[in-house]
Amino acid sequence: MLQKLGRIPIGLTLPALAILLVVMGIPMVRLFLASINAPAFSLSNYQAFFSQPANVRVLFQTIEVSAVATALCVIIGYPTAYLISAAPKRLQLTLIVLVLIPYLTSFLARTYAWVVILGDHGLINTLLLNGGVISSPLPLIYNRMAVYISMVHIMLPVMILPLVSVMMGIDKSLVAAARSMGARPSAAFWRVFFPLSMPGVRSGSLLVFVICLGFYITPAALGGLRDAMLSTFIASQVQTSFNVARLAASAFILLAVAGVVLSMIGLDLSDTQGRTAQRTQRARQRRLPPFGALRRYFGEGADHYRAKRWMANLYQAGREDPWSILEILYIILVMTYLLLPGVVVIIMSFSAGTYLEMPPSAISLRWYRSFFQDPSWNGAAWTSIQIGAMVTILSTIVGTLAAYGLSRTSSQLRGSLTMVLLAPITFPSIVVAIAAYLGLVNLGLIGTRTGIVLSHSIGAICYVVVIVSATLATFDRRLEQAAKSMRAGPLQTFMRVTLPLIRPGIIGGAVFAFIHSFDEVVISSMVSGFSIRTLPLKMWENMRNEIDPTIAAVASLLMLLPILWLGALYIFWWRSRPQLQSVATV
Amino acid sequence: MRRREFLTTLSTIAIAAPYVSRRVWAQSQGELRVQLYGGDVGKANIEAYAKPFETETGIKVIPITDDISLPQLELMVTQNNVTIDVVAASPATNMVAAQKGYLEKIDYSIYRKEELDAILEFAKQPYGVAGEVYSWVMFYNEEYFPANKPRPTSWAEFWDVKKFPGVRTLETGQYGSEGPWEEALLADGVAADSIYPMDIDRVFASLDKIKPHIRKWWTTGSEVQQMLREKAADIGNCYDGRAALLIDEGAPVEITRNQAKLTCDYWGVVKGSPNAQNAQKFIEFATRAKNQAAFAQRIAYGPPNLNAYKLIPEERGRRLSTHPDNLASGILLNTKWYSEIGSDGLSNAERLRDRWNQWILL
Repeated sequence: MLQKLGRIPIGLTLPALAILLVVMGIPMVRLFLASINAPAFSLSNYQAFFSQPANVRVLFQTIEVSAVATALCVIIGYPTAYLISAAPKRLQLTLIVLVLIPYLTSFLARTYAWVVILGDHGLINTLLLNGGVISSPLPLIYNRMAVYISMVHIMLPVMILPLVSVMMGIDKSLVAAARSMGARPSAAFWRVFFPLSMPGVRSGSLLVFVICLGFYITPAALGGLRDAMLSTFIASQVQTSFNVARLAASAFILLAVAGVVLSMIGLDLSDTQGRTAQRTQRARQRRLPPFGALRRYFGEGADHYRAKRWMANLYQAGREDPWSILEILYIILVMTYLLLPGVVVIIMSFSAGTYLEMPPSAISLRWYRSFFQDPSWNGAAWTSIQIGAMVTILSTIVGTLAAYGLSRTSSQLRGSLTMVLLAPITFPSIVVAIAAYLGLVNLGLIGTRTGIVLSHSIGAICYVVVIVSATLATFDRRLEQAAKSMRAGPLQTFMRVTLPLIRPGIIGGAVFAFIHSFDEVVISSMVSGFSIRTLPLKMWENMRNEIDPTIAAVASLLMLLPILWLGALYIFWWRSRPQLQSVATV
Repeated sequence: MRRREFLTTLSTIAIAAPYVSRRVWAQSQGELRVQLYGGDVGKANIEAYAKPFETETGIKVIPITDDISLPQLELMVTQNNVTIDVVAASPATNMVAAQKGYLEKIDYSIYRKEELDAILEFAKQPYGVAGEVYSWVMFYNEEYFPANKPRPTSWAEFWDVKKFPGVRTLETGQYGSEGPWEEALLADGVAADSIYPMDIDRVFASLDKIKPHIRKWWTTGSEVQQMLREKAADIGNCYDGRAALLIDEGAPVEITRNQAKLTCDYWGVVKGSPNAQNAQKFIEFATRAKNQAAFAQRIAYGPPNLNAYKLIPEERGRRLSTHPDNLASGILLNTKWYSEIGSDGLSNAERLRDRWNQWILL
């Protein structure tokens, strides 16, 4: 069966599409019909949307904020990922885990931490005031800059991880080869390494942009007076009137916007390296003819010096450069940015008072006790872990198959199928929640774990597909052909050749799948039927009125988990050094 | 009309799947699922209402601590999958849900006359009875406005940025159903008894004047609470319960109840609840003076049953929103006006929301 499916690559996407169809596909089609007033068919809901200038304005603002945040993520994330991928294996793993930590800090605790850091009497202002740098507090919070600071902070892991998994798959000897043939380091980078890393940039940007489109709580909490997003409007629509047809219209407009923007940056995630490189090459030639001529002119003149330098560099070609001071500083800076809010949360979690304070006036473990002694807290955590594990297994298998299938289909089909699979993270979560509810209620799955696992998996699959696709793009398919030529079956080839090579991408996808499930609140609250309590549901209860400081303790414990795991791994390495190589490839 | 449209929309959306049996929620007669909120309010609700109710009736109360949104209520009712019996909802949600037919009528026949007469008029609606009354009050930083200098006492003075300079914050109007509307009209000189029907143009003309001095439109109680602690604003409006908590913590915050805006959360029975009768009993139980007095001693929310004040120490009573003195100096939020639907099919709340969304982006 699997072998047969393997021969029709598109068949591998079937499990993912089937889950999507069952959970939200059919209700989504009905929602679409509702938005065009079927069976009477009219565009009145769309006209109503566009007739309000505020909607159009906020739509552009949403695109602008998301695009800027994505660009910032690329600018900060690319060098970070480059340095991580060039680091020694053990340091590399540590850095990857550290990069993931902001993503593990509960959303509520993180937003709270940013207020503590950026506020008028926050960490930065206090530091600057005490140092005599400024005389009155800088307005760091409640403006657009604060929105970007917090959005980029949370989105950086989503950008860095696909980049790292792609960069780790790039054959470094290609860069060395370019250098050995006289390319300057910058030329070797821009003309060899950079084009090869493009699939990672595309996957990362795509995920970041799409997720940013749906943001609204962070801009509301840290932004200024005008910082509304389309989802802010949608949320207030839901609260005051809840008109399904209007809501669906706004959701499909958002999906269309995402589709248009993404088709511009390229939906073709699995584009193979050769074609990308060729295209970039062609684009460069087309775009810059006068510069090209100019460069050739100067290039000829510089030949003599280049030849000299080539001789000097020849013997260094193979070695991996250790980081320079500048690069070390850069990594420290990025890591501080990524980890500071987490550190603040950990410190605040030891507050003795009834609320979170920074710095705590007295130290206590009361919020940890509150977590471990109250079954409504630790029970919810256990439920979330179990659900998260099931979601991870299901979506990693199904998502990897889909990514594999997509990489072997025609690029047009691939583009539209990718967009379909990405719908669950592109739509505002309230719309996905309504669709999932309608999809699951008829199967009797509301209020069941199966229901929650399925409804989380549709989003989790997106992460796996995007990240695995990026790794597959740098994957040399001739290795598979070689295996097959030696009489390995498709399954055997996949298990023994393809799978080990794309493992970084699969692990990255699995991590995000788990976190997606672990963090999900809107869909869970709809599908849980008030009978299943997940950790985020527990964290969000009574949010309108107060924040329970226990969330800081929970967030600290969550951050501690990967660090403990890392520590255990180091001990394991230290004790079994011969196995180093095989473990380090993880 | 509106409601029927709605139901047809939803039923077209739902997939007809007769071959799959709908999950029937097994609820025994001796059980009741009640939305009681989380946090301190939830604890007070359990101690003051749920536990004594179980003791008196033998009906087990299962507390639901999540907030419940309109879509959840709508989907439960229209999909015949009612998983909660009693909901506690804001006036806006209660009114819209009632209009759409998602709530049972309150059975006032089971109430004792002396209790019913003592319950505030606005707290007794056809589809909801108030559980607690809270208000939006003006707060200011004591250090910024010390006692030996003039302090702002009305919304007109709040708008007077020359006499009372300082960084301001007000609640966001993004939901329409609540926002700084009444405050804006009071500041503009509208008498407290002629606020409704609101002149929306006048509301925004007044807001135009204060907008440049606002630092942040806050969205949740926890947010404005943090702003107060961080001293991110010198003066603004916030929920009285949040302010009371901060004052107890020793924060330099003072409030004025003059021109405070009162509203309440309503208990309601979900349409199609298999335990509707017990649900009615629970709500009746929760509105008795004795139980409301116990609730108000645990958390600083006003009891809608004024007889409760006979059982509450005077000092505590003065801090609650429905104390006779505070009722006299405050104004009541007119939920009915907000849910009134005009000729264009929009409610006043939706009209305010749309206008706000446009105004905020200018």
